[in-house]
Amino acid sequence: MPHLFLALTPGPVPGTVITNTVMVGCVALLHVLFATYLIGSTSIVAVSEVVSMVNHDPRHERLARGIVHSWAYLFGTGAAIAIFFVIFVLVGMWGRFFVTFSQFTFWVWFFEALTFVGEIVLLYALYANWDRLGEYRMARLGMTILLNVDQWFQMFFIDVIASQMLTPVVQGKPDNTSYLLQFLNPTNLPLTIHRTFGNVAWAGAVIALTAGFRYLRATRREEAMALAPNTHVEPVRALGAMPDGELVRERNREAAYWDWAGQYAMLFTFVLTIFQIWVGYTYAKEIQLHSLDSWYQMMYGWISNIFLGQFAGLGLLFMAGVAYFWRRIKAAGQPRPARRLQLALIVLFLLWLFGLQPAWWAGSYPDIVAAHLAKPFWDGGVEDPLGFFFPWKVMVLIGEMLVTLFALGTFLRARQRTPMIMGQASRGSQRLLIALGVITCLMMLIMGIIRESSRSPYLVNYSIQINHQVILQKPAPNIPLTQRPIGP
Amino acid sequence: MSERRITRRQFMVRGTGLLGGLITAMVSVPAIGFLLSPLWATTPLLWADVQGGPIDDIPEDKPTARIASIQTETNPPQPPVSRVVYVVKHQGQLYAFSNICTHMQCDVHWDASLDLFECPCHGGLYSITGRNVGGPPPQPLPQWVHRTQVRGGRTYLQVANRLREEI
Amino acid sequence: MSQRTVDPERSGAAPTEPEDEGDLIGLVPQQVVGPVRQGVAWLDDRAGFSHLLHRVLYEAVPRQGGWAYTLGSATLVLILIQFFSGIFLLLDYVPSVSQAYSSLDFLKTSDPFGAWMRGIHLWGSYTLMFIIGAHALRTFISASYKKPRELNWVTGVFLFFIVLGMAITGAMLPWDQASYWTTTVVTNIPHYIPGIGNGIRTLWRGGNFVGQATLTRSFALHIWVLPVILLGLIGAHIHLLWRHGEHGSWVNYRTRSADPGGEIAERLRNAAAPYPTRGSDPVYSVPSDTVDFFPTQLFKDTVVSAVLVIFIGVMGLISGAPLDGPANAATLTYVPTPEWFYLPLDQLLVFFPLGLVGFGVFVVVGIAATLVIALPFIDRSPERHPIRRPDVLIPALFLIGSVIYLAMLGVNRLYNL
Ligand code: HEM
Ligand code: HEM
Ligand code: FES
Repeated sequence: MPHLFLALTPGPVPGTVITNTVMVGCVALLHVLFATYLIGSTSIVAVSEVVSMVNHDPRHERLARGIVHSWAYLFGTGAAIAIFFVIFVLVGMWGRFFVTFSQFTFWVWFFEALTFVGEIVLLYALYANWDRLGEYRMARLGMTILLNVDQWFQMFFIDVIASQMLTPVVQGKPDNTSYLLQFLNPTNLPLTIHRTFGNVAWAGAVIALTAGFRYLRATRREEAMALAPNTHVEPVRALGAMPDGELVRERNREAAYWDWAGQYAMLFTFVLTIFQIWVGYTYAKEIQLHSLDSWYQMMYGWISNIFLGQFAGLGLLFMAGVAYFWRRIKAAGQPRPARRLQLALIVLFLLWLFGLQPAWWAGSYPDIVAAHLAKPFWDGGVEDPLGFFFPWKVMVLIGEMLVTLFALGTFLRARQRTPMIMGQASRGSQRLLIALGVITCLMMLIMGIIRESSRSPYLVNYSIQINHQVILQKPAPNIPLTQRPIGP
Repeated sequence: MSERRITRRQFMVRGTGLLGGLITAMVSVPAIGFLLSPLWATTPLLWADVQGGPIDDIPEDKPTARIASIQTETNPPQPPVSRVVYVVKHQGQLYAFSNICTHMQCDVHWDASLDLFECPCHGGLYSITGRNVGGPPPQPLPQWVHRTQVRGGRTYLQVANRLREEI
Repeated sequence: MSQRTVDPERSGAAPTEPEDEGDLIGLVPQQVVGPVRQGVAWLDDRAGFSHLLHRVLYEAVPRQGGWAYTLGSATLVLILIQFFSGIFLLLDYVPSVSQAYSSLDFLKTSDPFGAWMRGIHLWGSYTLMFIIGAHALRTFISASYKKPRELNWVTGVFLFFIVLGMAITGAMLPWDQASYWTTTVVTNIPHYIPGIGNGIRTLWRGGNFVGQATLTRSFALHIWVLPVILLGLIGAHIHLLWRHGEHGSWVNYRTRSADPGGEIAERLRNAAAPYPTRGSDPVYSVPSDTVDFFPTQLFKDTVVSAVLVIFIGVMGLISGAPLDGPANAATLTYVPTPEWFYLPLDQLLVFFPLGLVGFGVFVVVGIAATLVIALPFIDRSPERHPIRRPDVLIPALFLIGSVIYLAMLGVNRLYNL
């Protein structure tokens, strides 16, 4: 980010542009992780509530209860970060930008704040009275759904802000106050859909990760005993001093529950992430059509390398998921579908390797154009034609979609044919769930970084510049399109 | 009695099949020929003047839309229709673009703020020389088959009823 | 026929109701005597109407969930409305590039009933798209396509394609701007088929450019070719329905007693025609409870159809059918927008640039279409409850979600143009 290095002189804000950027980045990313989990997990609670009301499955009840309890801690922390974010970081460090921007997105912020009132009321009411409300299941479900709707709007309003920063309706007019246009700006729809699914996928990943850990904990003792039969192993702390028979029963119960919970939650992540592939693609397309410079940064600028990281993460996420399917089905004693899943895993891996090729071996495409190296490596350049997004990476994405759908179908079908006995999972499969959670978290962070840096040198595209938060009267001159390579 | 090679019944079965085939062939030969006839129909080359007077005054690097009344199809005969001819002068070259997008043939127009031809349908972009530089179009913007005529010291443009590049 | 005699269940289930030949007479009020009564009896004797009516009306259908099973007949009624209004439009419409527009403009300006009829044809097609989709969705959810009803599904999917074809060729007829550019874009699509694509485009257009021949051809497709195929397929679809009986959905096959095996055997013994469904899993071959199609189910069908037809009539009157400016190949400002039901496909075009156009149009859409057609052969487990079929439900939700999302993106794109 060359322009940032030029701006080391202190601006009208405490700190430098760099430290402030890093600050805003860290706090925003942290806040996002909390907020999205809350929204997504509420959807999962609603689904589980419905299922447990239909078939009285105690596992769904336990899961819903567990998630609701997690809210109390996470909402408090997340909200504290958000307040810190707005008051200290945004107002303190980016005051000019924030005040200007808030003025013309006033009502959006206003409604955003209102949804917080609703969230606080509903969330704590549910948390504090979850068991008591067990007698009024319908009311409890209604409140959960209401909470989720409220949270959805919360996300929607923030999306209006975020998409407005990326693709302002009328370029160079930060004071555009047509709210309809603000709401319906070009990237709002793809962003909203992307996040609606992303929230649930992320919440699923968090739950799967937790379940993975808990399963490992529940089965730690027997594994240690299997490794060294004659040593005495302390029982898990939570299980305390229990007679041995009870201990085994407790172990079985815990293992069965967490095995089930991990699988149930990871399915949300896996399924929705398949959809995210092409939702993400449409999002990028909309950015390309309406904020070409940002798109250019993402695909050809220095962040293209981070984008490649996202690409790698996606492949890893799918591989972790399919590997889990494979291990789990194998443990359930179904060799045929297991072999198919193994095949899917291999294909995924090959696709992943192919997709990892960088299209050029340098920081950014403009760099190599400047150095006259924008030609294939066999012509003395640094380009690798097979690494370009179009059409190769598109093909890889389509391939990944097909293979993951196939794997998903195989897994679900195998599970349908011979019901799976929970609690038999191998410990390795649970480590894969943990990996899935970690990868998802990394991808969330990467996406945040890409989104926030793709707008530079602007804070709000074409209207407010990052450097000293300069507010432009007119759109900055575009680099003439004809002077640079344009992708499809 | 000579030995019959086919029975009466067999004769009728086969005969019905044969005659049925004949009926089918009878109607399908003209049908298929008629159906396929556009494939080998040839349209004569018909020239039309580009309206709006001579093209001398069209400035360099400023694509200008003119109209020509072109009889694109003659099978069956139909009156000429107005078509757009984008007259472009760029680096000493003269281009006579149609405004037919090579993606799905929507109506391309010159967007001065982008400095590009833009297609309203799916956002296709073409440079001033017709190169497809963005969006879905798979090929450059086609030109009409064209020629210039100098009459009374002024240059006039004529276009034919077909495109130079097949799209 | 031989099938019938070998199947003891079936012959045992032959109706033991009173002689059905007298049914038509039964419809004639007692007060009517003399020539009318004799006339009816004569007609029935010579033509066998009662027999036909009996066969059509007194079929058993599942008792529960009847409202969901009205969608098929609603589709049928809507198609008949299209035929009716379409034929009446031919009183005025001229398929010529110079007169198509003016003939419809005439309706708009000076023939209110004609304009209404045109409105009905347009709103009928919109409603039809919705209802046929709902019908397909309901038969998907209830897994009605499973053995032995695979062909019900396959003919249904082809019906859907033909209806799409009707809608798109119809949209080419008014020869206003919308219609002209729809024609241009749609007839251009085949040209991306490798090898023969160019030829197909030429054949459809009757030349290299869109012109009179194109309109004539679209007209012929819309008025003769596709309707004939449509009617043939509807015949096949309904024939298959009669052959296998209405499946209904899982709610019709629950067992209630402690002895499910005995209960199912009991059902098989007491099945009313057309049940038991031949070749079906015994559990799903006879609904637990049936009613006569007439009047129970037909009443529901009629209610739904009446609501839809009234909706179409009202919308056709107050909203009518729009007419842009006359077709103009030389426009620089017109933004071609597809009909709403083609928006997802149009949006898909945005996402497949350059060398991938053909891939997007034919391979992606082709794979999706093939999967939909092949559904009964992919999903062959006996399960009918949607929750127990996650392996088809999730990919299907994926497909449906994608189509809806594409439509939303299309709207978003047009709005932000
Ligand atoms: C022109 C369009 C169509 C017409 C007129 C039509 C008509 C009907 C009618 C009257 C029924 C019986 C009543 C009912 O179950 O709703 C039926 C059943 C059925 N239709 Fe269609 N249909 C059409 C399109 C489709 C489509 C697009 C599909 C699927 C993709 C489809 C699949 C089926 C199936 C599987 C059944 C059997 C339902 C059962 O037995 O439970 N049909 N159709
Ligand atoms: C499934 C059945 C049908 C569908 C979905 C359908 C759909 C359509 C549509 C969407 C239009 C364009 C309306 C407009 O933009 O104003 C149209 C026009 C037309 N259709 Fe159909 N149609 C069907 C059946 C028929 C039949 C059977 C006939 C005649 C035998 C017919 C005759 C016409 C005529 C003459 C027009 C041109 C007049 C006009 O544009 O309003 N249609 N049709
Ligand atoms: S028709 Fe021009 S971009 Fe699609």
